[in-house]
Amino acid sequence: MSEHTPFEMIAYTGSRVLEDNTIVFVGTGLPIIASIHAQLTHAPGLGIIFEAGPLTPILDMGMPLSVGDTRACRKACFLKGLCSVFELTQRGHADYAFIGGAQIDMYGNVNSTFEGGTYKAAKTRFPGSGGAGAMAANCEKSIIIMALEPRRFTPKLQFLTSIGYGDGTPDYREKSGVMGSGPYRVITNEALFGFDDATHRMVLLEVAKGRTAEDIQKKVSFELLISPDLKEMVEPSDKDLKLLREECDPDGYFLARKLK
Amino acid sequence: MKEKIQSPITNVSTLDNYQIRDYSQGFSWWGPSPEEARKIMVKKPKALSDKRTTLKEAVNKYVKDGINLAIGGFVNTRPPVATIHEIIRKGAKDLSLSFQSNSICPELLAGAMLVNPGHLSIKRVELAWWGYEVIGIAPLFRHLCANSMIELDDYTNYGMAARFKAAAMGLEFLPVRDHGGADMELVNRGKMIESPFSGKNTYLVPACYPDVGILSVTAADQHGNCRIFGAHCTCPEIAMAAAHTIVTAETVISNENIRTYPNLTEIPYTAVDAIVEQRFASYPGASYGNYWFDMEHILMFRSASEEFRKSGNADALKKYYDEYIFGCETHDDFLAKLPYKTLKKIREMDGGQPIILS
Repeated sequence: MSEHTPFEMIAYTGSRVLEDNTIVFVGTGLPIIASIHAQLTHAPGLGIIFEAGPLTPILDMGMPLSVGDTRACRKACFLKGLCSVFELTQRGHADYAFIGGAQIDMYGNVNSTFEGGTYKAAKTRFPGSGGAGAMAANCEKSIIIMALEPRRFTPKLQFLTSIGYGDGTPDYREKSGVMGSGPYRVITNEALFGFDDATHRMVLLEVAKGRTAEDIQKKVSFELLISPDLKEMVEPSDKDLKLLREECDPDGYFLARKLK
Repeated sequence: MKEKIQSPITNVSTLDNYQIRDYSQGFSWWGPSPEEARKIMVKKPKALSDKRTTLKEAVNKYVKDGINLAIGGFVNTRPPVATIHEIIRKGAKDLSLSFQSNSICPELLAGAMLVNPGHLSIKRVELAWWGYEVIGIAPLFRHLCANSMIELDDYTNYGMAARFKAAAMGLEFLPVRDHGGADMELVNRGKMIESPFSGKNTYLVPACYPDVGILSVTAADQHGNCRIFGAHCTCPEIAMAAAHTIVTAETVISNENIRTYPNLTEIPYTAVDAIVEQRFASYPGASYGNYWFDMEHILMFRSASEEFRKSGNADALKKYYDEYIFGCETHDDFLAKLPYKTLKKIREMDGGQPIILS
C-alpha cells in the first residue's frame, strides 16, 4: 500500500464516518474532500450544504475553494442564502456538521475565536465562529477535525465558540436552546474519538496502526476514556489515495500541506 | 421584558468576568434604531426613478463619519470591492462595520486605517468571521485585535444573517437556536431569555440596522430591482435592513426584463438608493456567472499585509494603496492596471454559469 500523508488519513477517516443518504454541512478544506470521497465511494446519496446558500450541488468543476464560490453552487438543487441553509439546520435537515477549530475539550466544545491574551486583546485572534458555532448547535451530529497536540486537546478552552456537551451535564444543550444532539466524532490523523453516552466525555475509539492508547493519551491534556472495543484505524487503499489525489483535491490545496 | 438568564456556560471555559460584556450600560443600537430606520424609509420618494449614478456620487452622499457600514457578499463571493475602494478614497472615521464572513473588504478598510488613521478608521465590528479561507488568516484583523484597536461583537454566521433579517422584517430581534451555551452568549449583545410560551431558554439576537449597506449583484434595472445568481449570501436581507443601500450591478438590464420574471427579483427597488453599473465590481472577489476570484491578486495584498503585521513595515502596504486605490479615479482605472490575461482567466474559471439577463 502507498504511503499516505496525515491530511489524507484525516480526509479518508472523515469520509468513512459519513453515512449514505444523509446531508452534511461543510466548510472549506478537508471536510469537502472527505465528503467528495464519500460520494465517490460508499455514499453516493450524500448531499452537501455550503453555508453561503447551496444545497446538494454537483461538484463537477472540482473542489470549491470558498463556501460561496461558483464551484460550490454548481448544479445545486436549491440555492438561496445563509438564512435558508441555517434555517434548514434548525429544522433538522442537516445530519452532520463538519467543522474544525484550534482547541477542543473533553466534552467536544471547540474554540475558534482566539488564543493567548484576552477576548478584548487577543494575542492570536482567529477568524471567528463563521458558520461553525451554528452548525455545531443545530446540525444533528458534529464531526470535528483537530490536530492531535496536547495544547489543542485542552482541559479548559480559552473561549467556547462551537458548543459541544458544555460542562457535560445531561441537559447542558437543552439549557442552551440548541437543537442538535451534539458531538459525534473527533478526527485526527492518529486517532478517532467518539463520546460516551452517559458522561459525554471523549472516548478513544480507534488508533492508527502502530500506536497504542498510551501514545494517544500523551498527546491529549485531559483524561481520555478508552473504548473497551479499541480498534485500529482503517488506512486508505491505493484506490482511495488515487481518488483523494486525483479527484478530490487534484491541485493539492489541502492534502499536499505538511503538518507543523 | 424578561430578565436576562443564561445557560450554564460560565462553568466551561476560562473566560473571566473582565472579558464578559458589561450589560450595566444597557443596550444601544450601533446604527439607527428600528424607529429611525423606518422613518428614513417612509420619507424616501417611492417613484420608479432612475437611480443610476457614479460610485463617487453615491459614496459622497451616503458614507459619513460614524456610520454603521454593512458589507455584503460572503468571503470571496460578490464582495463589494469597487465601493470599498471608493470609500477608502473618500475617507471616513469611526466606522462601525457589520457583516457575516468577509475577506478583502474589511482587510482593505483595516489597511487604510493602519496606513493613515486620520483619513479612515474603524471603531467597532459586529461579525461572524474575518479571513481568507484557503488563502489564510486575515493579518490586519489579527493585528487590530492584538492591539485592542477595535471593539468586537461576535456572532455566528447565522446570528449575523438573522440580525440583518430581523431588521429586514422591521423587528428588534429574532430568536435563534445558536450562540447559547457558547461564550458568544457572554461577549456579544444578544440575550438569553425564557420563552414566554414554553419557558425554555431561548437566545435572542438584536436586529442590525446599518446606516449604509453596500452590495455587488449580478444584474439590476435602473430603479434598483436586483437579480442575484449563485449564492445570495445575505445580500437581500442587508439591502432591506440598511437605511440606505448602494448597489453595484455587473450589468444594468431593462425594467421590462425585470417584469418578465418578477420572481427573479431578490431585492426590490424600494430598498435601493443608488445603482452603479460596474463590471468586475467584486474583483479580486468572484461573481457567479461572470468571473471567479483572483487568488494571485488577493495573495499579493495579503503578503503586504502580513509583512506589516510581522515587521511593522508598511511600505508594501502603502504601495498597494497608492497604486491600486489612491492612484485610481474609478474602478475602471483599477481594472485597467490588470493584465487582460488575468481577467480572461478568471472569466474562464467561472465556466460561464447560466444566468438570466433577459
